[in-house]
Amino acid sequence: MIRVNKVRAGYGDGPDILQGIDLTASGGEIVTILGPNGCGKSTLLKCIAGFVRPRGGAVEMEGRDVSAVPVHEKVKNHRMGFVPQTDNVFSTLTVADNILLGARHLPVAERNERYAELMAQYPSLASKQERKASALSGGERQILSLARALISNPKVLLLDEPSAGLSPLMMHEVFAAIAEIRDRTGMCIVMVEQNAFEALGVADRAYVLSLGKVAIEGRAADLLADPAMRHLYLGGEPPAAEGKPRFAAV
Amino acid sequence: MVQFVVDVLIRAVDLALIAIGLSSVYSLIRFPNVALVQYATTGALLALGLQMAGLPLVVAAIAACALVGIIAVVLNVVVFERLLRAGSAIAMVGSLALSMVFSAIFLVTAGPRPKRFELEINPPLRFLGARLTEHQLISVGISALAIGVFALILFRTDLGRCMRATATNSVLASATGIDTRKVTNTVVFLSGVMAALGGIGLSVKGEMSAQLGLDMLLPVFAAAILGGLGNALGAAVGAVVIAAAETMVTNVNFGPLFGESVLFIPAAYATAASFLLLVVVLLIKPYGLFVSEVKRV
Ligand SMILES: Nc1ncnc2c1ncn2[C@@H]1O[C@H](COP(=O)(O)OP(=O)(O)OP(=O)(O)O)[C@@H](O)[C@H]1O
Ligand SMILES: [Mg+2]
Repeated sequence: MIRVNKVRAGYGDGPDILQGIDLTASGGEIVTILGPNGCGKSTLLKCIAGFVRPRGGAVEMEGRDVSAVPVHEKVKNHRMGFVPQTDNVFSTLTVADNILLGARHLPVAERNERYAELMAQYPSLASKQERKASALSGGERQILSLARALISNPKVLLLDEPSAGLSPLMMHEVFAAIAEIRDRTGMCIVMVEQNAFEALGVADRAYVLSLGKVAIEGRAADLLADPAMRHLYLGGEPPAAEGKPRFAAV
Repeated sequence: MVQFVVDVLIRAVDLALIAIGLSSVYSLIRFPNVALVQYATTGALLALGLQMAGLPLVVAAIAACALVGIIAVVLNVVVFERLLRAGSAIAMVGSLALSMVFSAIFLVTAGPRPKRFELEINPPLRFLGARLTEHQLISVGISALAIGVFALILFRTDLGRCMRATATNSVLASATGIDTRKVTNTVVFLSGVMAALGGIGLSVKGEMSAQLGLDMLLPVFAAAILGGLGNALGAAVGAVVIAAAETMVTNVNFGPLFGESVLFIPAAYATAASFLLLVVVLLIKPYGLFVSEVKRV
């Protein structure tokens, strides 16, 4: 579904932030991208989406080189959904308009049906449909952004830290929802995350970036079990099942 | 009093047409396009030329508006999209330079002498004691209608929703499948059409000269800034405020206030009045009269 091939990329005249990245993701799997702040996770996701044009290498979707295809065309032609890390809602528009914008190219009947489904799924939004998105809390915006991306039934979903700013309970709900979407629709999901333990818990495979390169890649379960990985990147032991507080270094 | 309201409206609608265009385009590409006022003159001169070529004024006006819309899009693609890559300050200076080029073209093609549309002269109509000519009435009606149509587009159509989405967050807009470049150029087209309509409206009610656009520059900017740059309907209200200030200065007899029978302020002070107003309002409300969004901290 997605194939990133030796991609190098950066901003303006700046240095290469991504220095030859290889990554694949197929339908029905969640691939998570982990790594310290500033290592290039968001840049990689923006590269896949098309906001950042690769300087070398290629991004393929459904077997076609899409490195130079504008974002809005990928959204339509490859049914791509994208949730950015910040500024992820249209703050001057209502919650309902935010979500419906995501379904502009669907037939009206389907759009309304999907909208109703999402409202049932996310009651926190349902009660605020006519509110301006600027009046939502950080977590509610996160959910709103997810709903906007999901309403079009994407085939490819790119999520930049979907759990950022969510309470632990809400975070589990969102991850559960993402896993459920994968199982039900066979969507291809690429998810950048900071909450590594939780992300590895739902993901099928993972890539750990370091300084613009893939440092570790493998099955999520294997990474969780790997003591070296745990020590270097996950900051110690996984949270105990009773849910006692954990202070993880990133 | 009714005459005052009528005079304000006559002045405000054309001002509003140009200011709304300025503000809407600003909301999308984040620089105020000075050349927009010259699109108004272009529209008026084109309409005049087409009328002289034998077309009825209405047809000439429609054709002129469409042509100016196209010119606006071409200039946006050829000039401003490139300049914007270097930053909005560069683009604004570029639009100023382009305005000078327009002025030169107007002087060469139309000459320095003021012109008028060929219109039948009818006795003015009376409306609740206020005087206005038929042409003024029709022109105000058409301009007001155009503003109404634009407001409908903005708030009731998919294009309008895409416009507001792009203005709020263009990165997210493209991630939502909106072709932001197409949206921008559509709005640029509409801004050209509205500016041309405003220029034609102004010329129908008075004379048309190569200076028409530049004379409008300050009041149009004042209206757009008062309304909060980027807020289209705010610009319309800003236009009414500026028109009221100007009309106050030029039309109101201040004589009784000072124990004299007649005391008018020279018309040249009209612009000064609108600017004084602008400065005072901005000192109190720095983001214009209407802040469209609550600033989050
Ligand atoms: N728009 C930009 N222009 C210039 N440099 C940028 C831009 N965005 C990011 N960078 C730089 O690219 C590098 C990688 O940034 P990126 O956002 O990809 O990191 P990240 O891994 O997502 O970090 P975080 O976990 O903090 O979100 C950083 O050094 C950053 O300074
Ligand atoms: Mg990031």
